[in-house]
Amino acid sequence: MAEKLEAVAGVLPHILRHEVFYIGPIPVTSTVVNTWLVMIALFIGVWLLTRKGFKEVPTGIQCILEAIVEFIYSIIDSGFGRQGRRFVPIIGGYFLFILAMNISWFIPDLVPPTTDIMTTAALGISALVVVHATAIYEKGLGGYLKQFVSPNPILLPMNILEELIKPFSLALRLFGNMFGEKMVTSIIFVLVPLFAPVPVMALGLLMGAIQAYIFSLLVTTYLAHFHHE
Amino acid sequence: MTAGLFAVALTIVLPAVVSALSQAWSTVTAMNAMSRQPEAADTMRGALLLALAFMEALTLFAFVIAFMLLGRVG
Repeated sequence: MAEKLEAVAGVLPHILRHEVFYIGPIPVTSTVVNTWLVMIALFIGVWLLTRKGFKEVPTGIQCILEAIVEFIYSIIDSGFGRQGRRFVPIIGGYFLFILAMNISWFIPDLVPPTTDIMTTAALGISALVVVHATAIYEKGLGGYLKQFVSPNPILLPMNILEELIKPFSLALRLFGNMFGEKMVTSIIFVLVPLFAPVPVMALGLLMGAIQAYIFSLLVTTYLAHFHHE
Repeated sequence: MTAGLFAVALTIVLPAVVSALSQAWSTVTAMNAMSRQPEAADTMRGALLLALAFMEALTLFAFVIAFMLLGRVG
C-alpha cells in the first residue's frame, strides 16, 4: 500500500506541462505541441467533411454536420436570441475547439491542453477581446462606454470589476473541471488500474462536452449583455 | 505541517459540500418543474446548466486557493 501512495504522489508531474524544445530563448511546452496536434486534427477533419460541398437535400455526413450547426444555433438562441446568429462563427469555433481539446484526452499519452491553465487563460482573454471589440464596433465608442455608467455612475467600479472577473472565471472553470477530472482518473488508475477508471473516464467525456457547451453559452451571454439595449 | 494540510483539506472540502448541496437543490427544483411542464424542459435545461456552472465555479476557486496554500504548506 505504501508504494502505491508513493506512486500517487508522483502522478502530478505527468499531468503538468514540460518543455519540449526551444525556439531561440523561448521554450515550447508540451501544451503548445498538443494544441497544434488538436488543431491539425480539427482542420483535417473539417476539410474532409466539407470537401464534397453541400446538397439541397442532406444525406449521410451532411445530416450530422447540420445537426452540429443546429446545436450551435440553439446555444445562441437560448443566450442571445435569433438576432445573435451573426456570431455563429466565433461561438461555434469556441465550442468545437474546446470540445476537440477536451476529447483529445482519449488519445493515449496526450495530456489535453485544457488541463493547463495557460490554454484556458488564453481562451478567456480572447473571449474578453471578442466581446469588447464587437461591442465597440457595433455601438461606437460612446455607446460602449455608456454601458459602464448605466444605470448609475456609482456602479462604474462594479461594472469594470465585473468585466475583469469574467475571463478569470471562464478560465478557472474550464481549467478546474478538466484538471480535476484528469487528476482523479490518474489517481484511480494508479490505485486500481483494471476497469475502475472506465466509469470516471466516461464521466470525463460527458464533462468535456458540458464544459465546451457552458463556455460557449457563457460567451454568448456576455455578448448579449453588451449588445442588447 | 499536519495542521496546515488539514487547513488545505478544509479549504476544498467545505466549499465542495456547500456547492454540492446547492447544486442538488437547484437540480431537484428544475426536475420538479420539468416533470410538471415537459414542454418547457428545453429552456429550463439551459438555465439549469448555467446556474450549475456558476455554483461549480465557487468550488473551483476554492480548489485553486487550496493549491496555492498547498504550495505554501508542503
